[in-house]
Amino acid sequence: MERILLIEDDEKLGSQIVGHLRAAGFDTIWWTEGESFDPERPPPVSLVILDLMLPGAYGLDILKALRTGSELPVLILSARNDTQDKVRALKLGADDYMTKPFWPEELIERVRARLRRPTMQPADLIEAGGLRVDLARREVEVDGRAVELTRVEFELLAALARRIDAPVTRRWLVENVLDPDREGNERTLDVHVSRLRKKLGQGGLIETVWGIGYRLRERA
Amino acid sequence: MTLRWRLAATTAAIALPVIAALAYVAIDTQKRALEEGMARFMVIHMQQGGRAACEASPESWRGWPPPGPAPPGGLPPRVPGGLYAYDRQLRSQNPDAPRLGDEWREAIDSGSASRRISLDGRETMGVLVRMPWSEGPCALLLAVRPPFVGPVSPFPPVQAWLLPGAVVLITVLLAVGPVVRRIRRLAREVQSSARAGYRTGVTVGGRDEVGELARAFDGAAVEIRTQMDRQEQRERTLRDFLENTTHDVMIPLTVLTGHLADMQDRALKGEPIAPDAVRSAVSEAHYMAALIHNLAAAAKLEAGAPAIGREPIQLGDLVDRAVARHRGLAARTSVALERALPDQPCWVRGDVTLVEQAVSNLVYNAIRFNRAGGHVAVVLELAGEAGFSLRVSDDGPGIPEAELARLVERGYRGDGARSRAPSGAGLGLHIARQVADVHGFRLRIARSEPGGLEVVLSGPVSPV
Repeated sequence: MERILLIEDDEKLGSQIVGHLRAAGFDTIWWTEGESFDPERPPPVSLVILDLMLPGAYGLDILKALRTGSELPVLILSARNDTQDKVRALKLGADDYMTKPFWPEELIERVRARLRRPTMQPADLIEAGGLRVDLARREVEVDGRAVELTRVEFELLAALARRIDAPVTRRWLVENVLDPDREGNERTLDVHVSRLRKKLGQGGLIETVWGIGYRLRERA
Repeated sequence: MTLRWRLAATTAAIALPVIAALAYVAIDTQKRALEEGMARFMVIHMQQGGRAACEASPESWRGWPPPGPAPPGGLPPRVPGGLYAYDRQLRSQNPDAPRLGDEWREAIDSGSASRRISLDGRETMGVLVRMPWSEGPCALLLAVRPPFVGPVSPFPPVQAWLLPGAVVLITVLLAVGPVVRRIRRLAREVQSSARAGYRTGVTVGGRDEVGELARAFDGAAVEIRTQMDRQEQRERTLRDFLENTTHDVMIPLTVLTGHLADMQDRALKGEPIAPDAVRSAVSEAHYMAALIHNLAAAAKLEAGAPAIGREPIQLGDLVDRAVARHRGLAARTSVALERALPDQPCWVRGDVTLVEQAVSNLVYNAIRFNRAGGHVAVVLELAGEAGFSLRVSDDGPGIPEAELARLVERGYRGDGARSRAPSGAGLGLHIARQVADVHGFRLRIARSEPGGLEVVLSGPVSPV
């Protein structure tokens, strides 16, 4: 279980955040005041959530102390809508900041995003539901059954698979996937998508995203 | 000490010693003239019978009485001092004659010498004169001035310095008068200007230093006035901010309190809580947060350029944060909120808080003026190398044609922002437009394809 250090002076907000983090499956340590860090031995946690408005030690000082000895991700909470503060916090090495008030799910989402190990190399093999896309061999399977795709259909699927779960705009797909020689437009794109959906059947989850384009869902 | 008396004192301190020195020089010159005249007189006196009388009785000769018939009315009384005869070796046969040291020998060489000498224990002056002959007991004659009786003043006589000193002083006092009057007037005007909050200038002119001082004060007054105006402006902004915030926040807060009270009542009675009430409470809370952020942004925009940052901003991250801010509201009001960002980072220069607030306003409006089951799409695209385009579109009920025209119109500060009607998009859009303006971005508002609103923020990128 990932452990998170929360440094928050407000009792109510602190206990609420701890509750949300625990509910989301994180082990949480909560400090109500900015204790000084030993740069040699950073706290044994995977991430720090730091409120900038702590009494006693100024949040930015804690951040500075924390940054001298470790690469721990730090998420800043700030009630102040002060640009200077944010810029300074980011310069001092904060990874992200959130302005109060925030929704609990936003906090959890940010924490998860910071903890996710960056996957720099695009995987050649992408799996989503019953769908398997092998980018290197240009092979597609649904529920273990090989599916024959045209060149454009494969490129379309590969483009969505590379950014799995994120919507891709129609314009980008038209400009980067369709054959420029054959006058590709958004209408032809829609035709290709509908053919692709038919070939993939229930196993391939290509969603239409309103106002944007299409998305490949990782799971149903 | 006033300027007038300081000048008078300085003048006196300089002029009086100079006058005294001149007086001493005059006295000295007078003394020399006297000495020369005396030498000449004695030579003549001795040649006309004085030598014979002296050599006849050198032990008692005092040059007195003068040869010739006695003056009528008898001789004046004898006083100490008078003439004494010496030979060339500075010896006198007269026992009363003062003894002369070697320092008097120069008289033998140069003809005469004048020195201080002590007579009857008192200091006086003596003049030793060489006679044209060199032998005999009367070859040198010493004339001693009778010692001065009474206190001896170290100062030159009063008449030597009083008049010139007085004239100089009076001249200085008269000359300094007009200057002092102008300085006094300047001081009065500066005081009255200060009382008037530096709104008035000073009227003292002139090409001299007083005029310069007046002009310097005028310049300083203008500067102070500017600073005071700026300070006042800031205070007014802050006051307005507080008033607006209080006013604007109290309404949603009251609505929220009402909803919470209702929910508590129902919970106590064991009744189910109406999802509509919860949704409404949630959106009131969210509205308050947006309002406070917007009022803070408005205050910052009103404070003007110095408050506005020019930092590099990764617009993709910013859009992500702005969308995330409203994801909770979108989920709870059943509006599908989606965003698409470009693969590569998109850098612009600006104030991260203001730009984030502007983007946040566009996203928030699209959710707030939507309906359950509606959609909001936020798409950031790089338009070629030079620019970005951020499109926020929704398929909500849209807004009436007239309202759209007013929103599109520049500088419209919708009173609706305060009235909480659906047209309350005013403040948020107003802020977004102002932020776009100070950053050199473009904000375009149009009807979206399905009838909702489409707002596009575009501008140049600035690679870091």
